[in-house]
Amino acid sequence: MKDYEIVIGLEVHVELATNSKIFCSCSAKFGGEQNEHVCPACCGMPGMLPVVNRRVVDLGMTAGMMLGCHINRTTTFDKKSYYYPDLPGSYQTTQWFAPVAVNGTVEIETSKGKKAIRIKQIHMEEDAGKLVHDDWTDTTLVDFNRTSVPLIEIVSQPDLSSAEEVVAYLERLRSLLRFAKVSECRMEQGSMRCDVNLSVRPVGQKEYGVRTEMKNMNSISAIERAIAYESARHIDAIENGTEELVQETRRWDDIKGKSFAMRNKETAGDYRYFPDPNVMPVVIDDAWFDTIRDSLPEFPEVKRVRYIEELGLGEYDADMLVESRAFCDAFEAAYAESGLAKESANWLITNCMNLLNRRQMTTDMLSINGKALGVLVKIVADGTVSHANGKKILEVMFDEDIDPKKYAEENGYIVSNDTGKIVEVVRAVIAADPKSVADYKSGKEKALMALFGKCMKELKGNCDPQLLRATILENL
Amino acid sequence: MNETVLKRLEKLNQLALTEEEEKAFLAFYAEQEEEQKALAAVNTEEVERMVHVMPVYTVVRDDVVIKMFEREDLQKGAPETMDGYWQVPRLVE
Ligand SMILES: [Zn+2]
Repeated sequence: MKDYEIVIGLEVHVELATNSKIFCSCSAKFGGEQNEHVCPACCGMPGMLPVVNRRVVDLGMTAGMMLGCHINRTTTFDKKSYYYPDLPGSYQTTQWFAPVAVNGTVEIETSKGKKAIRIKQIHMEEDAGKLVHDDWTDTTLVDFNRTSVPLIEIVSQPDLSSAEEVVAYLERLRSLLRFAKVSECRMEQGSMRCDVNLSVRPVGQKEYGVRTEMKNMNSISAIERAIAYESARHIDAIENGTEELVQETRRWDDIKGKSFAMRNKETAGDYRYFPDPNVMPVVIDDAWFDTIRDSLPEFPEVKRVRYIEELGLGEYDADMLVESRAFCDAFEAAYAESGLAKESANWLITNCMNLLNRRQMTTDMLSINGKALGVLVKIVADGTVSHANGKKILEVMFDEDIDPKKYAEENGYIVSNDTGKIVEVVRAVIAADPKSVADYKSGKEKALMALFGKCMKELKGNCDPQLLRATILENL
Repeated sequence: MNETVLKRLEKLNQLALTEEEEKAFLAFYAEQEEEQKALAAVNTEEVERMVHVMPVYTVVRDDVVIKMFEREDLQKGAPETMDGYWQVPRLVE
């Protein structure tokens, strides 16, 4: 058997993090009751005029700049015609002739080293609606909530040659776009999906082989399995003539672990692209361009190095933080306030992470005031508030924008240096618990912990643990 | 434009034109083609490419949610609805 090379190009659809839809003011929020987020415009009723959401262009440009693209300073929208009930106007408004961004590169790293993947273009477009097949009435039910939700489609050149590279590429895209707050890129919610174009050719051959496309892949592991299956199918067809390969769209069935041919895909000509006369060309002037360029975040790997080399964080801590832009923002603000890098990182990675997990939230959903977190880090580090009470304050900070120091004062969370009060509490606890005292005196170390716990509870945690321990021992 | 192209367009748009309608469309397109030929004869070398008749650019709005319509009102004209969905003939994929 000859050696074969796999050639893969990806079309990645990413739902943009906007409040409203691309051409109308309906909510772009995920979910909701069927057809709650709709209006005559996104239902395709005649006579409605689309008006572009400025934020969509902002995010399209941002994505383009993050992926090293050239930004088209005049960008236009086009109609792509196809007839299907998930598209009420029987066309999709997208970009064909002058997409917002072109000619970029994304650098990936795999076990074989670094590789640059070329980006052909990024275009802005509207999503389609959702169809539900109802077996009972044998009809199809249509929900237009998702219709006109803004997307960008990132089209790569056929530069990828293995599942490993595809995974690295998708993870890199996800990281960059989440960092720039372009999208949450949550594959399980469909806010990131991808079409895989795949062909194989004998190593050394210049011409591409017959290409097939698998649409709407929405899990990394499914993509890996699909690439393995589909490339093996192609090679088998060429080597053993098991079937004739045709250019077509295929559906990946992850449960069966196989791809299946779908209805013959219409070729590009059949979409009959033409400029949408209802959407005015968008001209990006220098001021607009500069605003977006100046708002771009530092790349995650740059932050990581800075955190380790300049702020002295460990690699693990730095890796955890740069997973999420929200964590980086909170960390940087907390550090600026407290001057305590390690402690600030710790509060985020352990305590904030625990709270997020308990609330089943992702790291990107963290919305804590970073400056206030810095104050909390500081008052716990200098012993003004105990660690345990600090955690209670943090939980309040998740829901309300409070000043942790003021809150600690108002709620009796300030560690007391009043030794008189401590001695008073210790004596009362000892007097009320002769059993623990006797146990301790007969050599049971554990009994001391029981007394310690009772005293700490009485003092509402506002006591230096070392001081309390010493006071108990003195009074036994 | 010819009969084959028209048939293909019918299929793409899921239309079933009557013979009469097909004739009318073919006649209409034939007329259009004549006009196009006349346009193509004009020298446009110096003329800039134009997308829109009006020189209007960058008509954008802020990213603000406004709910102006209730589902019930939007579905008043729908031939069939069910549980808040529009209901259409079953699609075979
Ligand atoms: Zn709408």
